[in-house]
Order: sequence, then structure tokens, then C-alpha cells
Amino acid sequence: MIGFHLPLVLSCVALAASLALAADRIVGPSIHLGSALVCWGLLAVGAGLPVAMMGWFVRRARAAHEAALRGLDVLAQGDVRSLADGKYDATFSAPPMDVHSADRLNHLRQRLADIGQRLQDLEQQRAASESRLRRLTAKAERTESVLRGFSDPVVAIDKFGELILANQSAEELFEFDAASTEDRVLANLVHCEKLVELLSDTRKRKVPSQRSCDIAIATDDGSEHWYRATARGITADGEAAEADGSSEGAVAVLHDISSQKALQKRNAEFVSSVSHEMKTPLAGIKAYVELLVDGDAEDVATQEQFYEIINAQADRLQRLVDNMLNLARIEAGVVEVRKESRSLNELLEEALTVVGPAAEAKSITLKRDLSPLYLGVYADHDMALQAVINLLSNAIKYTPGEGRVTLRSRLEDNMARFDVEDTGVGLAEEDRLRVFDKFYRVHKDKDMAAGTGLGLPLVKHIVEDVHGGRIDVQSTPGEGSIFTVLLPVAATLT
Amino acid sequence: MPRNVLLCDDEIHILRAAEIKIRRSGYEVRIAHDGQEAWELIQQECPDILVTDLQMARCDGLELTARIRGDEAIKDLPIVMLTAKGFELPRQELIEKWNIVDILAKPFSPRELVSLITKTLEAAPAVAR
Repeated sequence: MIGFHLPLVLSCVALAASLALAADRIVGPSIHLGSALVCWGLLAVGAGLPVAMMGWFVRRARAAHEAALRGLDVLAQGDVRSLADGKYDATFSAPPMDVHSADRLNHLRQRLADIGQRLQDLEQQRAASESRLRRLTAKAERTESVLRGFSDPVVAIDKFGELILANQSAEELFEFDAASTEDRVLANLVHCEKLVELLSDTRKRKVPSQRSCDIAIATDDGSEHWYRATARGITADGEAAEADGSSEGAVAVLHDISSQKALQKRNAEFVSSVSHEMKTPLAGIKAYVELLVDGDAEDVATQEQFYEIINAQADRLQRLVDNMLNLARIEAGVVEVRKESRSLNELLEEALTVVGPAAEAKSITLKRDLSPLYLGVYADHDMALQAVINLLSNAIKYTPGEGRVTLRSRLEDNMARFDVEDTGVGLAEEDRLRVFDKFYRVHKDKDMAAGTGLGLPLVKHIVEDVHGGRIDVQSTPGEGSIFTVLLPVAATLT
Repeated sequence: MPRNVLLCDDEIHILRAAEIKIRRSGYEVRIAHDGQEAWELIQQECPDILVTDLQMARCDGLELTARIRGDEAIKDLPIVMLTAKGFELPRQELIEKWNIVDILAKPFSPRELVSLITKTLEAAPAVAR
């Protein structure tokens, strides 16, 4: 910088000397002293001014340099707003004396301001992203919490067939723990071919659609649980579909339809059972009518016998239809009930008369053990009789030949009680608990006797819903059962 | 010598109606009330044809059929089955699996039953007893 100003200093000194010589010539020696003083003054100004300027410039350059350093410090401290506003040093905005240096400094300043602005933008974007991320995380946590609490199993796969989501119900159902394994391939985690296939097919479909299938899953106790799996293709938000039109993945929700399936099965069994029960007496009617038509009855007595059989079979058919209709009407609450105070023992005797022939046909002893007390019950005759007949018929059906069925009545805790006890096949605990369920039939005893699975449900309805009583059953498999009915007492007479 | 028919059903009225019709058509008839009883009668003397109900308490029609088909001496015995079961029964599958002459649905015509027995026995050689 000194070198840069040296010619100027020398020029000033030369100018001062020239002016002193010219003054000597013009005004003469008389003014020689004044001229010398002027020259020395000029010489001092010529030498001092550049030195002062140099000092001032050096300070400015140092200040600019320090300002730039402070800018970098501000930058390093991340105060991008100050950097962008150029507020970190007021002196920095003052133009330097040197144009070239001023340009460079201005350029540097502008660059720093740009960087500051860019960093400020980035900072704002980061803050916005953080806020969005927090919102999305909260949303995802809420969604996951909802999914976890969802009782229906939910499973989702990505476009590679790898698991991206499974709620707790799904993990429990398919017995896997997604968190404890690195393996994400659905087929390796979920051992259910139909579900894997459904999800995979749904994902590959070009047209977004909903597909479903029924899946049976075996449980530990050997029974089956039925699920209706409904799957949909999923697409990432705002992203275009895959080039081949397939989805980003697929999600399936499994809804437990075991009770529906069980109802369907029971209905099918009921229809089959009713059909069997109806066809058996019909077969008798048809066969004997044909024998009569073909003249196969050799005499009038045989003819009479055939007519009687036809009549009995028609009655049997009638009873079946009545049972079905009674149950339907009681369940629908449209049945007309005519309750009167009557003797329980008389009802029991009447029922014994009705079932007597059936017991006799199997050589089963029907034993009466009725209370000597008059047990008055407020009952509908036909319905109560039907209930007792059903209980006795049931006992006879499931008691092997030569067995015994006992009908007992007692007064107990101000209730009229009667028991139907048999020496039959008995009930396992799981059957005992379900024996009053409509359409339920004990599997192992199905072939022992034909039945509709309506007899005992009808008894329960009559006893509990119509007469406000209670029914229960105790049983020992292989030894027999005791059906106990308790009815409110209307009156007792000794 | 009349051909021998073994009739097996746990419904006594059906059993009796079929017995009357078959006997009046010139066949010798023996009756059994369940599969076990029928099996015992077969052991005593093999009939020319067996007519059996499908659902019975003690040894049903299919179990009886399986026993017969598994016994080398009587495995070719013609069997006609009666059933009150309907659509739920895989009828054709059972006929093929157990080489059953036919499965007649109840209510059946005793006349048609006799006609089926006659047709079957005409085609089958008499069993040496």
C-alpha cells in the first residue's frame, strides 16, 4: 500500500520544490524565507496526507476484514437472520475507499447475505418439516393405537410382499411376533396360504378393488375358527401407481364369522334333521298305503292293522310339526297361554300314559315316585304336558333297552319340583352345558335316536319363559341323567 | 329254491312293510333291527342280497357295508341301501366307493324295492349255501 502511494508523495515533494524556485525568481530573495515556508508546508501536506489516508484505509480494511470474520462467526453460530439482514456490523455497509476492494467486499457481503437467506429458508423448512413430522408421528401413533385396539386382525404388506403392519390380534391369531424377527416376508410369518394369496393377488390387481374370502383357522382345541378376510390395495399418498398398475401394497382385515358359520351349520343340520324326522313316518305311510293298494293285506284284520300303522305314523308327523310350530310361536311370543291352577301330579301321570308304549317297545321300566302332596301349579295344560312328554321321551330315547326311567315329584322350598331320571348314556360336561341350545344334538348320540334338536329347547322355553320356573340337568356319562324342573307353587293341599 | 333277502332297519314299521312285500314276491326274508344283528345273521348264512337302512344306532349301514366288503368270503354281496337323508348325502360317491347297487330315498315304494331286488338277483349268480 505504501508503494502504491509513493509516486504521489514524490510528486507532491517535486511540486513544492518547483513552487519555491519559481517564487525566488519572481519576487526575489526578499521573499525567499516565505517561499521556503510555503514549500515546506506543501511538502508536509504532500507527505502527511497520503500517510493519513493510508492509515484510515488500513483501519477500514481491517474493520471490513473483521466484519467479514464476524459475519462468518455469526454464520458459524447459526444466527442466519442477522446474517441475512447484514446486522452483524453496521460499519460493514460503508463503502471502502478502494473501488476494487469495495466490489469484492460487497460481493462477499452479498454472498454471505444469500447464504444467510438460504440458511434462513432452510431453517424455516426444517421447522415446518419438524412440525409436520410431529403431526404425522402423532397421527401414526393414534392410528397404530386404534389398530392395536382393533379386535379384528389386520395385516398389511408392501409391494414386495413383506409385512408392513400387523396388529396385536393378527399376531395372536397367527402366532408370530413381528418385533422379534428380522424376517418380513409375510408367507414366512403367517402360515395361512389363503390369506397370503389374497393379499398378494389384491396387490397385483390393476383396478383398485375389494376382495374377500372365508378362511378357516384351526385352534388349539381342534375346533375351527372362521374369518372373512377382506383385502384392499393401498397406494402411497400423492404417488403415482406402479408402472404396471399394481398397488403399493395391500391390507386385509379379518372378521370373525365363526358364529355365522356355526348358525349356518346348525341350520343345515336342523333342515337335515327335520327332513329325516319327517321322511321316516312318511315312508311308513307310503309303504302301507301301497301294500293296501296292491292287495298285500291278506285279510281284513291285516288291513285294519295297516290302517292303524298309517294313522300312528301320521300322528308322529303331526307331533313333529307341532313341536316346530310351538317353539317358533313361543320364541316369537305369539302363543296364547291359558294358565290355570292344576295338579302337577295329574300332568305327570298323563305324560306317563303318553310315553308308556315307547318305553315298552324298548323294554324300559317307567317308575313313578310321585309326591303324596297335592302340588298345585299355575300352568297351561297343553304346554306343561308337552314339556313333561318331551323330557320323558328324551330319557327313553337315550336309555338303552332294559333300562329305567324314573319320574319323581316333590315339594321343595315352596316350589313344586319334578325330576326325570334315566339310566341312559349320560352327557359329557360340554354337551350338558349346551343341551338346551336350539338345534344342538350330542354328536356321539346322533345315531342313537332321531331328533330335531328342538325338544329340550322347547321344554326350557315352556318351563322358564312361560311358567317362570327353572330347569337344570345333572349327568354322568355312561350312567345317566337327571333333568330337574322347579315350578312356582299355586297351592298345596295335604 | 327261493333267493334269500336280508332286510335291516331300526324302524319296525318300515321293516315290516318291506318284509311283507318282498316275501309276497316269492323271496325268503330274514330281518335284522340294526347293523350288528345283520352282521351276525350274515355270519350264520350269507343272503343273496342285503337291503339295509343307512342310519342305525348299533352299526350303521355304511359300517355294515365296510365289514362285508372287507370280508373275502362275502365281499361281492349285492347291497341296496335305504335312507331318509337327502341332499347332504354324497349318494353317487358312496355307490361307487362301496359298490352299492342303489341308494333308495325314503319314503320309498316297496314295489320299486322288489323290482330292484329282482333285477339285481337275475344278474347275480345264486350264492352257494
